[in-house]
Amino acid sequence: MKQSTTWVGKEVVRRDALEKARGLTKYASDMFLDNMLWVAACRSKYPHAVIKRIDVSRALKSPGVVAVFTHRDVPNNRYGVFVKDRPVLCDDRVRYIGDIVAIVAAESKEEAEQAVEEIVVEYEPLPVVSDPLEAMKPDAFPIHEGGNISRSTRITFGNVEEGFKASKAVVENEYRTAPQIHMFLETEAGFSYIDEKGVITVVAGGQSPYRDHHEIVSTLQLPPEKVRVVIPHVGGAFGGKDDVSVQIYLALVTWKTGRPARFVWDRDESTIAGTKRHASIVRMKTGASADGKLLANDVEIIYDTGAYTALGHAVLDVAIENCNGPYKIPNIDIKAWLVYTNNMVASAFRGFGAPQVMFAMEQQVDQLAYELGMDPIEFRLRNALKRGDVMVFGNKLETSVGISQCLEAAQNHPLWRQKETLKSEKSLPWIRRGVGVAAAIKGFTLGALPDRGSVAVELRRDGGLTVKGSFTEIGQGVVQAVAQLAADLFKIDIEKVEVVFADTGKTPDTSVTSASRQLFLAGNALKKAAENLLNLIREVLTTRYGQKVIEARFENGYVVGPGFSHSFEEVAQMLEEHGLSREVVGVYDVPRVEPIPGSLEIPHLFYMFGATLALVEVNILTGTVTVPKLVSIADVGKVVNPQTLTGQLEGAAAQGLGFALLEEPIIDKGILKTTNLSTYLIPSIKDVNEIEVIPVESFEDEGPFGAKGIGEIGIISVAPAIANAIYHAVRVRPKSAPMTPEKIYWLVKQAGLTVK
Amino acid sequence: MQYSRVEKEFFFRLNGEEVRVRAPPGYTLLEVLRHILHLTGTKDGCSSGDCGACTVLLDGRAVHSCLTLISQVEGREVTTVEAVDEKVADAYARHGAVQCGYCTPGFVVATAYLLSKMHNPSDAEIREWLRGNLCRCTGYVKILKAVESLAGDDG
Repeated sequence: MKQSTTWVGKEVVRRDALEKARGLTKYASDMFLDNMLWVAACRSKYPHAVIKRIDVSRALKSPGVVAVFTHRDVPNNRYGVFVKDRPVLCDDRVRYIGDIVAIVAAESKEEAEQAVEEIVVEYEPLPVVSDPLEAMKPDAFPIHEGGNISRSTRITFGNVEEGFKASKAVVENEYRTAPQIHMFLETEAGFSYIDEKGVITVVAGGQSPYRDHHEIVSTLQLPPEKVRVVIPHVGGAFGGKDDVSVQIYLALVTWKTGRPARFVWDRDESTIAGTKRHASIVRMKTGASADGKLLANDVEIIYDTGAYTALGHAVLDVAIENCNGPYKIPNIDIKAWLVYTNNMVASAFRGFGAPQVMFAMEQQVDQLAYELGMDPIEFRLRNALKRGDVMVFGNKLETSVGISQCLEAAQNHPLWRQKETLKSEKSLPWIRRGVGVAAAIKGFTLGALPDRGSVAVELRRDGGLTVKGSFTEIGQGVVQAVAQLAADLFKIDIEKVEVVFADTGKTPDTSVTSASRQLFLAGNALKKAAENLLNLIREVLTTRYGQKVIEARFENGYVVGPGFSHSFEEVAQMLEEHGLSREVVGVYDVPRVEPIPGSLEIPHLFYMFGATLALVEVNILTGTVTVPKLVSIADVGKVVNPQTLTGQLEGAAAQGLGFALLEEPIIDKGILKTTNLSTYLIPSIKDVNEIEVIPVESFEDEGPFGAKGIGEIGIISVAPAIANAIYHAVRVRPKSAPMTPEKIYWLVKQAGLTVK
Repeated sequence: MQYSRVEKEFFFRLNGEEVRVRAPPGYTLLEVLRHILHLTGTKDGCSSGDCGACTVLLDGRAVHSCLTLISQVEGREVTTVEAVDEKVADAYARHGAVQCGYCTPGFVVATAYLLSKMHNPSDAEIREWLRGNLCRCTGYVKILKAVESLAGDDG
C-alpha cells in the first residue's frame, strides 16, 4: 500500500557530500597511525608456475624490515565464498600474475618495496592457459586439481527444437565481451591495529564487513571476537570490493607483530590483482514466430573466471537467469560454463553477469525484429513479462514488473519517434547516425540463496535515533537513503537520525552490500525495528497507564495515542526507568523459494527492469563511435531520493558506455599490459555527453515504501543499445565489446560503406 | 641497489602557512602531503598523472601533485582542497556531484583553477579544462551542473 511520506521521494543533498568535497572525509587509504608498518606484496613473476623454493632470509635482513610472511604463517591457507580454491599466500603453485607469494612489513613504504626485491622465489613455469575455449578442452593443462571447469550446468525448459520448427525467423550468433576493470578511484586499501581491548581491527575498503571478518578468522584461525572489521567511506567499489583484498594480510601482520599496519595497492597492483568483470563468449540461437512471439532460445555461456572462482558460481547463475531478457519464452536450453584460466580473477562487477548475456540477447531480439519487419520496441513489448506470468524457469512472477512501462517510455521518447529523421538528417559525409534500444532485467536480492539482514535502532536520550547496520557506503548513497527511510518510518526529523554503518564491533549484520538490494534489505529490517520499538513502547505505556495501550503511533517526533503524547526524549527516559534497553533490532528474511535443479540462486522473486535508448554517430572513415545522447529508463519501484537515484543511473550509463566502446584490457598470455588509466581508458568528461534519466515507479509491495533496487540495472542495456544504434546507422552488427574503432572500421569496410 | 633514506629539508607555503619539512628528495609533493604531513584531502588515485585526484594549485596553477617533485616546490605556494574557496565544494555537494567522493577534491581544485582563469566558461570549455580528472561514479552529468552553477558567479 502506498504511504504518504515526508522524506522518501524528496530530493535531499547527501549528508556526506560536503565533507567529501572539501577533502575532510577519511577513507581507509587516508589513515597513518603512529608506529605503523607498511606492507608490500611479493607477487608472482609468472602467470602459471610451480613454486620450488621460497627464500626470505635476505629480505628479513633488509633495512627497516620487521617481518616477512609466507604460506607457512597462514594456518588455513585456502579461502573463497563458493569454493575454497584460493591461497592467501601461494604455497605449491602460482596461477596468475596477481598471486601473492609473500608479504613484507617494514618501517617505510620504500623499505617494504626494497625487501620484496630481496625475496627469492624459484619457479618452474607451467603452460599458460589464457583462452577459455582452450582451457575447456579435455587435454588442456589443468590449473586446479579438478580440471579447468569451476562449474558447469545445463538448464532446459520446454523443447527448443520444436520452438525453432515453429519459428518464422531464427538468428544464431556468437558474442564476446572483454573483462571490464572496475577502476574505482580509490584502490584496494586498508589499515589495521590492535585496539585497547586487544582486538585486531581491520579498517579497509570493502562491501561486507561480516564476510571480510569471516574470511579473516577462517584463514588465520583466530577467535571471532578477537577480530573487528570496519568499512569507512569507500572510494568506489562497483562489486570490485565484494571479495577480500588487503584484509587478511593486514590482520596477519598486526596479529603477528602487534603493530599497526597499512596496505594500499598501487594502481597497477589494483588492475592486476583486483577482480574483473568476466570475459564472456555467448552463443545464442533464438527463434520467433511470424507474429513476433519469441519461441525458443538456445544458449551457451562461457565465462572466464581467471585463476580462481571468487563469486563466479553466483555470477554464472545471474547470467543464466537473465540471458533470456525480460521476456516470456516457452522453450529454452541453456548450457553454461565457468572456466579457470591463468588470466586475472573475475568476480562481481555491477550487473553481476547480466551485461554480457544482455549484450547478446538484446542484439538477437533486435535482429529478429528487423527480420520480421517489426518495430524493435513493438517486438519487445509483445514479449515483455507481465505480473502473473510464468517465467522461463517455471516460477510465477508475482512482484512488480515495470518492463512494459520502461519500453513505452522509450517508444514515446522523441529520440525514438524521430529516429528516421535523425538518421537521414544531413551531417558530415563520413558520419552515419542511428538510434538503438535495448531492454534489461536483473533479479535483485540473492535469489534462492539465504539472505537475511538486521538493523539496530537506538532511541537516544536526546530523543534522536541512531540507526546501525553493516551496510557499506561505497558511494551509492545508502546512508542518506537509510536516514530518509528512518525519518519516515519513525516520523522524526531527518536531522535527528544518525546512521552508523559497517562495523562488526558496532553494527549488526545487514548482509553484503551487493545485488542492488542493500536499501531493500536495510529498509525492511528498519520497518521491523520500527514495529519492535513501538511494541516495546506500548508495553511500557500499558504499565504506566494501567490499561492495555493498543493504539500508539509515531507522529512528528512523538509517540501518540488516545489521551497521551510523549516526546521521543520522554520515551527514552521511560524505557530506562523500566530497565529496558533503548535499542531494538529489526530482522528481515528476504522471501525466497528453493533453487531450481542445476542452479544455486535461480529464481529470484524480485526483479528490476530497464531500457536504454542510444543515439550514435559512426565515423565510417575511422570506425569511431560517439554517443551524443543516452536515455536511461529504469523501473526502480519507488524513488527514495531523486538526486542520488539519477546519479546512480547516470554513473551506470557512463560505465556502460565505457564497457561498450572504450574499455579494452590487453592480455598477452596471462599478462595484463594495460595496468593504468593511460592504457586502460575509462570515460572522461569528454566521452560522456547528454544522459537523460527516466525513472519508472512500478511500486513493489514488499519493498520499503515500494522501493526496489537501483545500483545495477542502469548499466545492463547500455552496450546492446549502442550496438543496436550502430546497426541502425550502418547496418552492421558489432558482436564484440568493446566496440572499438578498429572493430567498427573493419565491419564497415566489409559492408562496403563509402563516403558518397 | 640498496635504498637509503636520505632526507633533505624543504620549505614552501602550504595553504597560506610556512612549512618546513624533511623528506627524501625523490618524494613527490603528493607523498609529502599525504605520507609526511598527513594532509589527506589530496587523493592518490594513480600516482602517474592519469586521474587528476591529486590536483593542487602550485603558485595558483593546477598541477598533478603526484608528478611534482618536492624539490620543485621549494619556496613556492601550494594550495590544497582544504584551502580552496568552500563555495566550489558546496556547489558539488548541492548538485549531487559527489558519490564515493574520492575524485571530488581533485575536481574541486581543478574547478577553482578554471574559474580563476575563466569567469564564465562554456560547456565545451568546462569539459576541456576538466578532462584530466576522472570520475567513475557520476557519469559527469552533475559535475557539469555544479560547475555551470558557479559560472559567472561573482559571490
